[in-house]
Amino acid sequence: MLDFKLTQPQQEVQPRPVAEQSDQVYDLIIIGGAPAGLTAAIYAGRAALKSLLLTGPFPGGQVTTTDMVENFPGFPDGINGAELAQRIQRQAERFGTQIVMDTVTKADFSTPPFTVRTDSQTYRGRTVIIATGAVPRRLGVPGEAEFFGRGVSTCATCDGFFYKDKRAVVVGGGDSAIDEGLFLTKFAREVIVVHRRDQLRATKIYQERAFANPKMRFVWDSVVEEVLGEKTVTGVRVRNVKTGETSVIEADGMFVYIGMVPGTKLFAGQVEMDEWGYIVTDRRQRTSVPGVFAAGDVQSPDFRQIVVAAGSGAMAAIEAERLLAEQSGTT
Amino acid sequence: MPLLNEEIAEQVKQELVDLAGPVRLVMFTQEFECDYCAETRQLVEEVAALSDQLASEIYDFVVDKDRAEELGIDKIPAVAVIGAEDYGVRLYGIPSGYEFTSLLHAIRTVAAGKPELTEETLAALEEVTEPVHIQVFVTPTCPYCPGSVVLAHQLAVASPLVRADMVEATEFPQLAIKYQVMGVPRTVINETVHIEGAAPEPMVLGKLQEALEGTEEKV
Repeated sequence: MLDFKLTQPQQEVQPRPVAEQSDQVYDLIIIGGAPAGLTAAIYAGRAALKSLLLTGPFPGGQVTTTDMVENFPGFPDGINGAELAQRIQRQAERFGTQIVMDTVTKADFSTPPFTVRTDSQTYRGRTVIIATGAVPRRLGVPGEAEFFGRGVSTCATCDGFFYKDKRAVVVGGGDSAIDEGLFLTKFAREVIVVHRRDQLRATKIYQERAFANPKMRFVWDSVVEEVLGEKTVTGVRVRNVKTGETSVIEADGMFVYIGMVPGTKLFAGQVEMDEWGYIVTDRRQRTSVPGVFAAGDVQSPDFRQIVVAAGSGAMAAIEAERLLAEQSGTT
Repeated sequence: MPLLNEEIAEQVKQELVDLAGPVRLVMFTQEFECDYCAETRQLVEEVAALSDQLASEIYDFVVDKDRAEELGIDKIPAVAVIGAEDYGVRLYGIPSGYEFTSLLHAIRTVAAGKPELTEETLAALEEVTEPVHIQVFVTPTCPYCPGSVVLAHQLAVASPLVRADMVEATEFPQLAIKYQVMGVPRTVINETVHIEGAAPEPMVLGKLQEALEGTEEKV
């Protein structure tokens, strides 16, 4: 069954501002072009703040990889994730926020106006909202990076086809791991789920489907220590965390679903973070640096919902506006 | 039965309403149509009907061999998206699923004849003196893939020396094997340099330059 999707891949962003323009100080710089940042941009635009949004390499963020979003209010029939992101972006542009496809490489929050750098430009802003989201966590074991895209993947829907009649290892025990693992059984001869605990974390419905699937096999209490292979992946070495024993599972590929990691490396040492690298904010989205706010998945792993990200983006923008008003003495 | 339902057809119409210039969708199939050849032909005809600026041309890969060679078409189903000139924008395999987006973007970019790339990229492309062939391997179920295809097509429109293909990997498994495609998107530049995953514009430009440096060394 063929389907045809209309989405907007990283397009229709305005050209970078020319050098003389970037010398000026923005009221607000938003880092990240996914629902949190884009919603902040809508509010900033409507508040007539001189604001700039830097999208990062993949405008729209995680939501663009979701086929059908069925829980965002206002879309009773669901909406394609990329289309939703594109619509929020159009709304932000309508209210005048300058949206630029550029990736921040350095930030300095020591004294306002804060400095945000990309490869080619330096921007300054009186306030900043960090909305860089989260990306899939990697295992960080030997072989993983070397074989990425050549046997190691984080997208079964993208790459499942290449595992026709092959064996694939899925690492993880949550909803994503099991859902994508089940998808892989359509192609693969065998799907081996390696999980560090002795039971799955995935919701009951996924567990039932997984245990009922004859192509799925489980290796409990185990972690992957190395991806093996010369030119292609031939297997993974796993260690049983209870017995310490290591063994090799023969496989043609590995799919990793072990949660997300916040995109906060850039801001290390500048704003307070928790032990997992999430930015700590108060209930008004304020970080440890006055004038710097954070919104979306970058500051909370607890919900990971588009509507929550959008909501926190709105809160951050409103707070930024309040702070700017206070600073200029108009309140 | 149309491939595009009414709702999608209407959206496509809106997408194409302000096309900057005429575009021809030149499609190659053959008498005994290959897997998805018939569907690709039908898709091209349906899309072409949605804008006055669009026209479809259907050729037989075997009978119209000269035409295929002229356009550098070496496998089917193939679609060449041609505007005021032929920028080297190609799609091999049916642009369904997420890749439908790539087809529409190719049409828009070719119609405008003007890519949406940064000044830095355009300046760097001016320096290119050797032919560049970009192949982006995709699957229709890959949400990250159209970004890479659209970028490659923009590069093709920007430079007369660059041509860029979308290659739907599931329809050309022999090429997937040849280029060791185990994940998509995978971009292959001049057969030598490859990029795994969706890469931003500066990185793709860097890899393109790397591929050309390789050529110079060999000479």
